[in-house]
Amino acid sequence: MNHLKKLYSLLGLILFIQGAAGQVSPEIQLGARGVMSFNTDISGSQKTSSVNDFSDTGLLLGFRQKLYSNFRGQMVIGMQFPDANSDLGQVFFHQTFLQLENRNHVLKMGRSRVLSTLIEFPTLRDDDALPFTDVLNPFSSGENTEDNQYGNVIEVSRLFGQRYWLRVHGEHFTKTPQSGGTSETDFSLNAVGIAFEYLVPETQIWNRPFVQQLGLSFNNFLTDRRGYSAQLDKTLINILASAIINIKADPLYFWDARFQAIYNRGFDDIRGIATYYDLTRARSTAVFGSLRFLYRKLERPTLQWALSAGYKVFPDLTTATSQWQLISNFFYRLGENFDLTVQLQHARFNGDLKSLYGRSETRMQFGMVYSIDQRWNKQFDDRNSLLNLEHGYIP
Amino acid sequence: MKRRTFIQASGMITAGALLPGTLLGAPFKAANKQKYPYVLEPTLDGDVKEFHLFIDIHQQEIVPGFKIHTLAFNNQVPGPEIRVNKGDKVRVIFKNKTELNHTIHWHGLHVPWRMDGVPYVTQMPVMPGQEFIYEFTAEPAGTHFYHCHWGTLLHMQAGMYGSFIIEDPDDPVRSRFPYEREYTLLYSAHDVNFLREEMNSMLERMKERMYMMKTGRFNKERFAVFDSKKEFEDAVKNGYQPPYVVNRRAPDELPVPNWFTVNGKSYPSTPALFITEDENIRVRLINAGTEEHYLHLHGHDFWQVADDGLPVPYPWQRNTLRLSPGKTIDIIIEGKNRGIWTFHDHDTRRVTNNGLYPGGNLLALVYEDLPAEETRLNMMAQKMGLKNLPIVALDE
Repeated sequence: MNHLKKLYSLLGLILFIQGAAGQVSPEIQLGARGVMSFNTDISGSQKTSSVNDFSDTGLLLGFRQKLYSNFRGQMVIGMQFPDANSDLGQVFFHQTFLQLENRNHVLKMGRSRVLSTLIEFPTLRDDDALPFTDVLNPFSSGENTEDNQYGNVIEVSRLFGQRYWLRVHGEHFTKTPQSGGTSETDFSLNAVGIAFEYLVPETQIWNRPFVQQLGLSFNNFLTDRRGYSAQLDKTLINILASAIINIKADPLYFWDARFQAIYNRGFDDIRGIATYYDLTRARSTAVFGSLRFLYRKLERPTLQWALSAGYKVFPDLTTATSQWQLISNFFYRLGENFDLTVQLQHARFNGDLKSLYGRSETRMQFGMVYSIDQRWNKQFDDRNSLLNLEHGYIP
Repeated sequence: MKRRTFIQASGMITAGALLPGTLLGAPFKAANKQKYPYVLEPTLDGDVKEFHLFIDIHQQEIVPGFKIHTLAFNNQVPGPEIRVNKGDKVRVIFKNKTELNHTIHWHGLHVPWRMDGVPYVTQMPVMPGQEFIYEFTAEPAGTHFYHCHWGTLLHMQAGMYGSFIIEDPDDPVRSRFPYEREYTLLYSAHDVNFLREEMNSMLERMKERMYMMKTGRFNKERFAVFDSKKEFEDAVKNGYQPPYVVNRRAPDELPVPNWFTVNGKSYPSTPALFITEDENIRVRLINAGTEEHYLHLHGHDFWQVADDGLPVPYPWQRNTLRLSPGKTIDIIIEGKNRGIWTFHDHDTRRVTNNGLYPGGNLLALVYEDLPAEETRLNMMAQKMGLKNLPIVALDE
């Protein structure tokens, strides 16, 4: 019997290989980012140092294929090393999605980056200023920053012209912790949103637009669903607005500025913050901005300096509560894709946040960053290539 | 449709790629004329023949449904044919409408050295929006071509080539093999993925550089040109060149051509050669690509009458010739064997389109006076619903 099973397995394998041999090979994409830093907390409630923080290090593997009728299909699988204090394990699969697109439409399904932010800021790690840069996940315990950044997503995007994006999305945001140490079993929709964005493609940066990006987004967490919030029979609304301005789009000495504001409408009856649960549901306004200078010798980035600042206020609380943060960092390129970096960040907490995080935190990080983005077996052009944008689109 | 049936049907469609219409019909002949470069008409300025060429980015449909972005002289690939007489004074006004740099090299012509089109050797590149005037006397007689000499690997593959024919009133070829009709076939090979990636890279880079030019900060270091060999060697030592690239953006692999064109088209869009019984036709073959082609004509031994434009003293007969990159070879085909014959690269990797046969530089020599009854099919084929020969892709 076992021999028969083996025979069938072998036959199956042969058929599979034959099938595969007849296929058109896909485009293969590999993205990798290694972030290694030595961290030391100069001040703060939990003065710690870390000889080697490699969170945010990750791999992305993608496959793309031409489909019938000018459509393209893509699969992406990505893994990341989460923060050391998270409960996500050694490796977290932060991206696992399929994408179907044509010239003006994109459908994305799977685990991916949620639209909790509209733009990226020049911080060493994605979550260095998370309370200011992202809408916080109200279903999370706050233990894992990834809960705010990644979720199970279904997103439909429509492109108008070459620069106007309308995105309608629904998510299942991770709920943590699960009761009794069990795994999450309910993956139903718990957030919806819509975003409208004006975005100049990166390839046209040397057309020197003053406005690089403008965005407006509306996120609605369905906290009134059974099992999510027994206490509050409402939905939680967040509104985001963002802009990227090219102050001086000079090929040698490049300056830009980024801004984002998040208004969390919150729940009227939250008057104090004792837990992360309250933090995500209290009414708040957060603003975050960055100023970035990039020196590009011989048409490649050579060094970058950025100064970012954020302020968040909770107006409805009994105790006046706010927080602010300053981050400055410097990257120096040692060669292709490889940077040395140093980052200094300082955060201050007032009111109810003091009891959660202490009065302030100051952290210094020295590190190295290596990042690549490669494609093999290229078969077709990108929507945003200069040929497609300025010389007629070829599907 | 069941999966098995679907697969079988797909296979039949591939194997039975039909020619566009009947080769002997008037519509095919009319369409065929468009598959040869048109002759650019000069204007006369005194005794100087003045031609206008411009270069722009253009979309070229290599086969139905498959388009690529190209660099096209006067919006066509190949560029228009320039045809003059030996000894004519020629002026070519070249306008660069792209955001890339270019020059024109007159391949095989004995032009003054400052007219040779080699950037930084004989002239500065013709930069975006600029115009350059080439002036020379047309010599020697024969089949030549012109092409861009800037970023040659990319720019020639992208379509920057065209035929340049210098006629001789005392042409020994015509004397020995009287002919009325002649055809020009320009061969090329394209790695369309390399083309796309490299063109995008260069366009991005040039946008940046044009801004530097406008603000007067574009220096030789950024442009990778050097005043002396020592400067260049120092730059290499300091990591300028591969593998320690500093400013390179283009793909780092050499192109591997996957499309093979004749006059900018691949089979089934390649042009046909028409002939009648007892007629001589002259075919001017130009290899403007990077690959060698071993061109073989079925059913005939043609005369090889010129090499690099120069008439050979003793034409010889053969049925397969080697057309190396940069070569031009003229042949005379004598109409001695009525039928429809294939003329193709015998390195059959080049009769494919992106690896699929049939395709590439496959084309046909067609006798116009072929009686219809000779194209009839047998009963079996008629039962299959087929009409007449040739019904399938021209086979080698």
